[in-house]
Amino acid sequence: MTVPNSNPLIETKELVKKFGSFTALNGVSLKVYPGEVHALLGDNGAGKSTLIKALSGVHQPTSGKILVEGKETKFNSPRDASEVGIGTVYQDLALNSLTSVTRNFFLGRELKFGNGPFGILKMKKMHNIAIEEMAKIGIKIEDPEQPVGTMSGGQRQTLAIARAIYFGAKVLILDEPTSALGQKQQMEVLKTIKKVQQLGNIAIILITHNEIHARLIADRYTFISLGEVIGSGTSKDLEGDDIRRLMAGGAEVGDLAKELA
Amino acid sequence: MSSSENSRKESDRHNPKSSLITLISRPEIGPIGVMILLFGMLGYFSIPASETTWNPFAGEGFNALGIRNNLRVISQLGIIALGAGLLIIAGEFDLSIGSMIGFAGACMAMTLRWGFSIVIPYISFDGGTHLEFYTLLHIPNVTPTLAIFITLCFTLTFGWVQGFIIVRSGLPSFIVTLGGLFFLRGLTEVSLRSFNHRPDQAKGATTVTEIPDIKNIINLPGYGEMEREAAKYLPETDLISIVKNLPSDVIAKISERLEYTAQRVAEAKTDLLIAKGVKPLEKALENAIASDNEFMIKTIQEKIENFKIDPVIPKSITEVDIARAYIDTIGSARPIADFFGGNILETIFDWLYFPIDWNVNNFGNQFAPGLYSCVMIWVILSLVCYIVLSKTQVGNWIYSTGGNLSAAQANGVPTNKVKISLFMFSAFCATLFATCQVFEVNTSDAAKGNLKELEAIAAAVIGGIVMTGGFGTVLGIIVGAFIFGLAKEAFFYIPGIDGSFYRVFLGFVIIASALLNENIRKRIMGNI
Repeated sequence: MTVPNSNPLIETKELVKKFGSFTALNGVSLKVYPGEVHALLGDNGAGKSTLIKALSGVHQPTSGKILVEGKETKFNSPRDASEVGIGTVYQDLALNSLTSVTRNFFLGRELKFGNGPFGILKMKKMHNIAIEEMAKIGIKIEDPEQPVGTMSGGQRQTLAIARAIYFGAKVLILDEPTSALGQKQQMEVLKTIKKVQQLGNIAIILITHNEIHARLIADRYTFISLGEVIGSGTSKDLEGDDIRRLMAGGAEVGDLAKELA
Repeated sequence: MSSSENSRKESDRHNPKSSLITLISRPEIGPIGVMILLFGMLGYFSIPASETTWNPFAGEGFNALGIRNNLRVISQLGIIALGAGLLIIAGEFDLSIGSMIGFAGACMAMTLRWGFSIVIPYISFDGGTHLEFYTLLHIPNVTPTLAIFITLCFTLTFGWVQGFIIVRSGLPSFIVTLGGLFFLRGLTEVSLRSFNHRPDQAKGATTVTEIPDIKNIINLPGYGEMEREAAKYLPETDLISIVKNLPSDVIAKISERLEYTAQRVAEAKTDLLIAKGVKPLEKALENAIASDNEFMIKTIQEKIENFKIDPVIPKSITEVDIARAYIDTIGSARPIADFFGGNILETIFDWLYFPIDWNVNNFGNQFAPGLYSCVMIWVILSLVCYIVLSKTQVGNWIYSTGGNLSAAQANGVPTNKVKISLFMFSAFCATLFATCQVFEVNTSDAAKGNLKELEAIAAAVIGGIVMTGGFGTVLGIIVGAFIFGLAKEAFFYIPGIDGSFYRVFLGFVIIASALLNENIRKRIMGNI
């Protein structure tokens, strides 16, 4: 595991997001370093989703700062965020099951001869790139013409991750990548994340419910509850019990354990 | 963990298929099979019952005139099916295509007939309150190009408005374009009736007639522009003087051709007369053989052998014939009208290459001068659509817009622009259909294009377009149009059944295709 010897790639300072009278985030600070998997843990409704939506430009924070490579940045749209290198892989993966791997890989950013939307696609080149990029993070695709619908869940996740990296993501936000997958495919995805981590220059924010998965690959943890950070640290700082307790939202599990006893 | 688990991969679970299996499991194979079946049906059922032949081109279905008429039906449907099909691939519908055809045809015919004006209505109080019009611009003589341009301005705008309402409001396209269907049909009827209050038109009619045969306006040397038919029936002295002014090699070429025609027609007539004369004798011979009358058999056989008839004398070629043939070779002075409403492949359909009853009647007149221009328009449009859909960036956008809208948006595809453009494209296809029709028949009717929107959607579905969007090919749409058009024609020739059975057949085919398409889609989506 890499030791953070550099500056954080992305950093939030006292991020606050209010929806009317409801405070979704109440001053969240977080640092993510290149080559690291930063696990973001918390119960449903803790504010994880709001946080990643603020980072990927879907929501604009009410107050607080987002710093990318030390510079303060404001995102007005998801496009702004992806331009500075923040790639978000949502749960639905934004894939079209009915078309081929290559067509999905380059969706919206197709390589073509000539300018304008009627440019002829460079299909062969795109096939090669798609195969290569997916091989880099550990999935071998035989047929780039294969419809995405016929791929396994793990392969689809890999496709979405490879796509984000190829199009310049320095910060990769993965939203529950292992949920809704079978055991074997979960392991595939974790291997893929490990491969991305080993590339060394990409910071990964991993949102998950699964403590075991987090412990397998995360270098650093941040726990969120009710819109606030209730604990953070490197994997060495935290013992297994701590993780479990913090993930469930702090003291409540202890209380429940007593109640049930 | 057993050791075998590591060596076994996901791909091992797929059994490799033979190339034959891959070929017959392609989604297009079913529709293509039905298409070939219909080809055969149309070919063989149209052969007269008295003849037995293996040649499917022997009957009316596929003689020159049959091909001309069948391809017209197929290509007209094909043009609008492309518009409807691409839109369905992007996940939307257009029910206004049929009304758009009527509207575009009426708009074009009216501007060609009465010109185009922009007027500002205002309320006048002179002599009682009434509405008056201030004419801002009036173009009395509208050229075909301008008529097409004006019509496109209206139809494309309407397509844009429909698309804009749908993407902005999120309403289902079914309901918005259903509104468009009624709106446009009503508008067409209302405007045709109000224009027909003019003194030179039957009052209140919803048709436009008396448009000149624009595509056949020619520039006759020494006479200026006139219709081809009018030129052919000029006084004979005029026609003869036209021939006098022609270069001698042109005259030689035309007269050689005409003489050859007359010769072939004469030979065919002779053959026909011989056949007519011999046939009753042969029948009598059969009877004689049956009754075993040796004397009769002998006499009749002799009669058949000695049967003779004076060969028909070929028609002599006059200078008037040469002049009329020359007028036929003059190109149109209105190439745009000819492009949409004229004929194509005229040189290939030249009867000289074919047996006499395939494309020439007994008077030496050709059945089919060529194919209708709309066939060419369809071919060009299909090629363009094929390239756009499967080879360009826009094609990928269309598939993803219909396949997974939110995924397309998340990847920066301008899905709203894609949809609006396709609504405009569907309006464009309807306008093309109307343009071909107006320049072909030189009339327009408010009822034109009725139910065509449903036929277009049916052809697309038969061709493998999935109604939920995201899946289908241009090749499929082409095959769908063929199936629809061929079925319409083939059932007409089946002896002893009602021609409307083609609708029964198509209903069955539509449901079967939809089931098949859904099955394929589920297999690809991984739900099976």
